[in-house]
Amino acid sequence: MSLANPAALAWSALAAPIVVFYILKIRLRRVPVSTILFWRQIFEEKQPRSIWQTLRHLLSLLVQLTFLATLVFALAEPYFHWEIVEARKFALVIDDSASTRATDVAPSRLAKIKDEARRIVDGLRFRDEMTIIAAGTQPRVLCGLTNHHRALLEAVDGVSATDGPTSVDAAVELARKLIGGQKNHTILVLTDGGFDGLSALLKAADVEVRLAATPHPSNVGITRFQARRSLLDPVGYEILAEVFNASDESVACRFEVDLNDNPIDVVPLKIEPGGTWRQVFEKTSTEGGRLAARLDHDDALAVDNLAEAILPRREVRPVTLVTPGNLFLEKVFEANPLVKLVVAKALDQAPRTSGGLIVLHREVPAKLPPGPLFVIEPTTACDLWDVGPPIQNPVVAKQDRDSELMAHVRLDNVLMPEARRLVLKVGAAEKAKILASSIEGEPLFFSVDRPEGKVLVLTVNLDKGDLPLQTAFPILSANALGWFSNSRGELRPSPSTGDVVSWTPTARGPLVLRAPDGKTRPLPNDDKPITLGPFDLSGVWSVEHVPTANVKPSGTDAGKGVEAGAPEFVIACNLANRDETDLRPRDVEALKRPSPIPAGFGGRPVWYILILLAWLLAAFEWFLYQRRWIS
Amino acid sequence: MPLFDSEFLKKLEYLSIVSRRVFRGSLLAQRRTTQLGGGIEFADHREYTPGDDFRYLDWNVYARFDELLLKRFQEEEDLHVYILLDASRSMEFGDPPKFDYARRVAAALAYIALADLDRVGVVAFAGDVVADFPLTRGKARILPLLKFLEALAPDRDATDLSRVAAGFVHRNQRRGLAVVVSDFYDPGGFERGLDILRHHRYEPHVIQIHDKREADPRLLGDLELIDVESGAGQKVTVTEKNLRQYRRIFDQFQESLKHYCSANGVGCTRTATDVPFDELILRMMRVAGALQ
Repeated sequence: MSLANPAALAWSALAAPIVVFYILKIRLRRVPVSTILFWRQIFEEKQPRSIWQTLRHLLSLLVQLTFLATLVFALAEPYFHWEIVEARKFALVIDDSASTRATDVAPSRLAKIKDEARRIVDGLRFRDEMTIIAAGTQPRVLCGLTNHHRALLEAVDGVSATDGPTSVDAAVELARKLIGGQKNHTILVLTDGGFDGLSALLKAADVEVRLAATPHPSNVGITRFQARRSLLDPVGYEILAEVFNASDESVACRFEVDLNDNPIDVVPLKIEPGGTWRQVFEKTSTEGGRLAARLDHDDALAVDNLAEAILPRREVRPVTLVTPGNLFLEKVFEANPLVKLVVAKALDQAPRTSGGLIVLHREVPAKLPPGPLFVIEPTTACDLWDVGPPIQNPVVAKQDRDSELMAHVRLDNVLMPEARRLVLKVGAAEKAKILASSIEGEPLFFSVDRPEGKVLVLTVNLDKGDLPLQTAFPILSANALGWFSNSRGELRPSPSTGDVVSWTPTARGPLVLRAPDGKTRPLPNDDKPITLGPFDLSGVWSVEHVPTANVKPSGTDAGKGVEAGAPEFVIACNLANRDETDLRPRDVEALKRPSPIPAGFGGRPVWYILILLAWLLAAFEWFLYQRRWIS
Repeated sequence: MPLFDSEFLKKLEYLSIVSRRVFRGSLLAQRRTTQLGGGIEFADHREYTPGDDFRYLDWNVYARFDELLLKRFQEEEDLHVYILLDASRSMEFGDPPKFDYARRVAAALAYIALADLDRVGVVAFAGDVVADFPLTRGKARILPLLKFLEALAPDRDATDLSRVAAGFVHRNQRRGLAVVVSDFYDPGGFERGLDILRHHRYEPHVIQIHDKREADPRLLGDLELIDVESGAGQKVTVTEKNLRQYRRIFDQFQESLKHYCSANGVGCTRTATDVPFDELILRMMRVAGALQ
């Protein structure tokens, strides 16, 4: 045994005054009594124990000196050599994934895991060190390597269940990076065993696994729930739903779907053990909103019984069609329920609508008007292009398949006898994006993003050829309407927990990401795409502007002042993970493994034991004094 | 504050009135003697014998039955009440001091007796008789008696009741009631002294006084106990256990006194000084009245 602070032994000098005070006789208090007869009877009875009468004061001295000795020894901080040599390093991996919310273990799997973690922390020796890593959604170091028990316990207490997927394997890898090179290191994994890498972990030499689960839990969950706008029907949408029965017996339940709390469908389900039910629902709505699917089934995990999706709202858009006359063109816009169509023969006869789309067929003004423009078969020059001789029988050789304008559109098999050759002027050519071009490289379909508004140009002669007769034509026009209205894409995917989503802000200003539990986290304030996530809670996440002082009414330029609480972007996040829904441990035999509590003696140093002993001695002395066994 | 103030005297008068009403002739009031003589209360008849006083002939009987019968009357005699007051140093103990309490009780008893035309004498004792108030009679003598009591002071000697009783019974005086007012902390034991009184045909009555601190002392730790009578000291370490032992021994002492009195037909009154003395007297009266 060695002493960390041998100078503290100087406090032993305090024994001298204790002995001096002991040697000094203390004058007894004289108390007159009416008669001493009765007292004599008492103390004459005790005469045979007179040796004890003498010793009891000596006992007091011994107790006091022992008390001093233990305190002085504690101040000297003694330690054993083996404490240094045999100090252990632990990484405690706590699985806080969605499946640990399961209640097949009372009160929950995570609660049991945390209890186990506390026991392990309590079992650490004084010089043992531990780091705590959470393994839900993505590995997170909750507490660095330390031997401070209180910090470790606070880290354990701070663990709360996420809705994210299990990432125990990644957490173990992180633990190996943290303590793998150190002597006497062990990785302790507390999990429910609901992941495929469990068998490998059980075989690892440096890993001890403790499972908190029951062998055959029953659970049914929604493993997929997505909604998208129909590609053909402007007000239609489709819902893809999938339910997985992760139990050993068949399950009967109901699957309910509602839009903004209005029921839209209820399906009774009966799913065989291990079976999957999948269905696509086709519905219509211009409103859009929040779609929610619920499983009416009481099982061990509640979080996968609810899934949500965001259905984009469809706005009715004013369209002014300026054309000398083309029935197909009129009908393709008229057939779209989201279009409020006005047809005019000339641009100056057309009514002015704020923010509306102008479709110019053939004749265009020398200077294009501001706002969104869809120009079809331009026959005159303007400030963006000059018109050349017609192109006969152009063949589409190249089309931009990645563009949303070209989604589900194929022009290479369309018969186009004639198209206009346009020569883009300087300044426009740089801004133009060719969506489809001929073999000669002549642009047939292109867009120009000018400051005054977007311009989309289709040079094909609609009166010749079969483009208006092809399904590509209404799809192309629908894509164009979506492109002009900035409603990009028909699918607003509902990511699973643990996923990330990239999103580009449409307006400048400080933004926050609001989680379903109401907590916010700041986002970068720039025009670049922002990565949202990984999402660790299921529910609706929203990107919101931080309210600024200079708030203007809606419709003003973004960034000059925004109202609080108006979501800039909304996304629904679901568990939708078969591994998390399947609560059954992948290795049932591992449930029988003993608890990996490190051997220790309460994690207390020697000086702590000595202080405890000193207090016990003080209490003993106090007890003896109170009982008048010593004085 | 004087020992016997006007309030005290009022209480004495009240006790005197109550005593006649409640237990006339029991403890201290007139005692009928078995001797027949010149009393006023008729007892019985006997035949006339020559030489008898004609004044006691029952002429009514003679007129009706022609027999000479003599009326006999029960003769009354006054009671001699001796109050033996413990004036040892142990009586000085307590709050209020037991000695003050004892003197008040003695004064009360004496007043009641004097009011009932009994004769009262007071003997203050410790190791021996330290002061003596001779037998006296008549209510008017109460003031000198009070002055005597007030002037008493505790004596240095330790209590020796047997010695005092031995001296007391050999006095040339009539037998009577001997009221012993003491704490009975007699190193030689109280039994011998009371036995002497009984054996010499005195009628002892015991009034034992103690202080609550004697019954339940609050002493703990290392102490030197000083006996106020003998001055002897004892160094002790008093524990809770010792206190329990003390209380047990004190209770045993109290019980032994009570047992002695009940075994020998001796009246016994035990009290603590926190009981008002007039309440104690009334209690004694009730007990005596109940007995008779």
